[in-house]
Amino acid sequence: MDPILILVCVILGGVLASLGVHLLPVGGAPAAMGTATGVATGTVMLMFGAAMCGLFTASSVATFSDNILLVSLSGSVGSWLMMGVTMLVANVIYVFGTGIVPVSGRVDVDPITKEPQKAYKTPQCDGHGVPNVSYISGMVGALLGGFGGAIMYFGLLNYAHFEETMAGIAAMGIFVANAIIAAYNIGGTIEGFQDPKFKRLPKALVSCGVISLLCGVLVVLVVNLGGLTG
Amino acid sequence: MPIEIAMLFAWMLLIVFLALVACMFEDLESDVGSQSNPNSQVQLAPQVGQVHRFFNKAISGEAPAYALYCTVAGVIAWVLLSKGAHPIIAIPIGAVVGEAVHVIFSVTAHVGRTTAQKRFEQPIYLDVLYGHIMPIATHGFMATLCITAIAYIQSNLGTLSGNPGLDHPFALPMLAFIWGITVGAIGSSTGDIHYGTEREFQDRPFGEGKRVVYHGKITRYADCGVRTQKDIAAFCAKFGGPCTGLTFGVIILFENWRTLVGMQVARYLPNLEAAAGDSAAVIGIVVGLVIGVAMIVGNLVLVRWARKRYGTFVGE
Repeated sequence: MDPILILVCVILGGVLASLGVHLLPVGGAPAAMGTATGVATGTVMLMFGAAMCGLFTASSVATFSDNILLVSLSGSVGSWLMMGVTMLVANVIYVFGTGIVPVSGRVDVDPITKEPQKAYKTPQCDGHGVPNVSYISGMVGALLGGFGGAIMYFGLLNYAHFEETMAGIAAMGIFVANAIIAAYNIGGTIEGFQDPKFKRLPKALVSCGVISLLCGVLVVLVVNLGGLTG
Repeated sequence: MPIEIAMLFAWMLLIVFLALVACMFEDLESDVGSQSNPNSQVQLAPQVGQVHRFFNKAISGEAPAYALYCTVAGVIAWVLLSKGAHPIIAIPIGAVVGEAVHVIFSVTAHVGRTTAQKRFEQPIYLDVLYGHIMPIATHGFMATLCITAIAYIQSNLGTLSGNPGLDHPFALPMLAFIWGITVGAIGSSTGDIHYGTEREFQDRPFGEGKRVVYHGKITRYADCGVRTQKDIAAFCAKFGGPCTGLTFGVIILFENWRTLVGMQVARYLPNLEAAAGDSAAVIGIVVGLVIGVAMIVGNLVLVRWARKRYGTFVGE
């Protein structure tokens, strides 16, 4: 048991989870009516769903590789694929099921593709669909969030020597605590890095760092009390 | 190709098919019960004078709700399996218990929510309550059954394909929880759009976002008579539901396929060569990244096509 490595994995995982949540395009309930840009679900649920996919793959890879970077990257790519497919099919439904053009409500010009946005937006709506800038932001967010969840799992499995399922449950618990703090900071909906709400990020990172530190200390305590070895 | 590897890929494809069915039924169940994000409009409707005959079941977000049902089902199945029951018996019994929990939550959520709207003169229609319980339970049962079956297959994948070293390290209930969360998150993210943006506001202009002034003013009349959610499931089953099922199926396909391809190409299979583990992981990561980049390009093409085809906003 190495307490420093456990703390580093948990804190890094928590901070990356928070950063990942801020980059996701989350439209919540208004997006389900095409009234806001982003994916039509809650912040925590979307990040949690993506992180779970990543955790599944990371735990599979951890059975045949003990390289921390490879296990974390496997989790990261698992989340990236989940978000990629989800956002793409959401756009397919917006375009072919409801006849809506994906458009940002927060910027007049897409910062990546330079496509104008305002002319395509429905009045009294805060954008609709997942425009390219939000899509790319969401993919980067999923990569970071998935990496965070997987590195936490790896730390709990190999440095705290938790049993596999217990390591998964503990990593999930710490991850969701950080995701909820990030969701409070966002306050409902966010389009990605181009959204003015993204500037609130530093406060969330500090809060998540502190929360993750407390969680890490708790893990070290549990390990010293005998651990979750199954 | 050795038979063990062929069996691994065959089981993976069965999991993908089950995932497709699970997520489609999960989305349609959320449409029948009006759970998740578009339910905000069903909740709001009486407050703007639109008394309706919709089922109002906002138990929680779909992801935690399905995590609960699938974990209950997974735990019951796991206990029965540990007592020596056959999977053909254990998995459906687990799913039935999970659905019993679901139905209890559905009835209490609908009655509780609607009772709270008495001040807006929204009645509790008993025929709506009785008429929606079975569709909710049956759609939910299909989703829970498939997820529990996926969890069972994955936790015994190696044993089933002739190489016990490839069993997933997580226990069956944990896998049921993971896929319950994921199926709920996907059903909420994709299928809800077809219900919330299109079917819930079908008497509003097509091809535009639903403006804030329309909120709460949902479409209450069907082709014949007053609309209930049973009409909505039939509509969404033609596009939103299958798309949602496809999302989860494709995710499971990519997740499992890239890992297996990595194992196969790096020659980790069939003898589980420990020295090839890192190479297998690297190949899996690279394959995943390539698929992701292809999807980013796909989204660029889709958005560009929609902008060109539909043009700028021309309404008022």
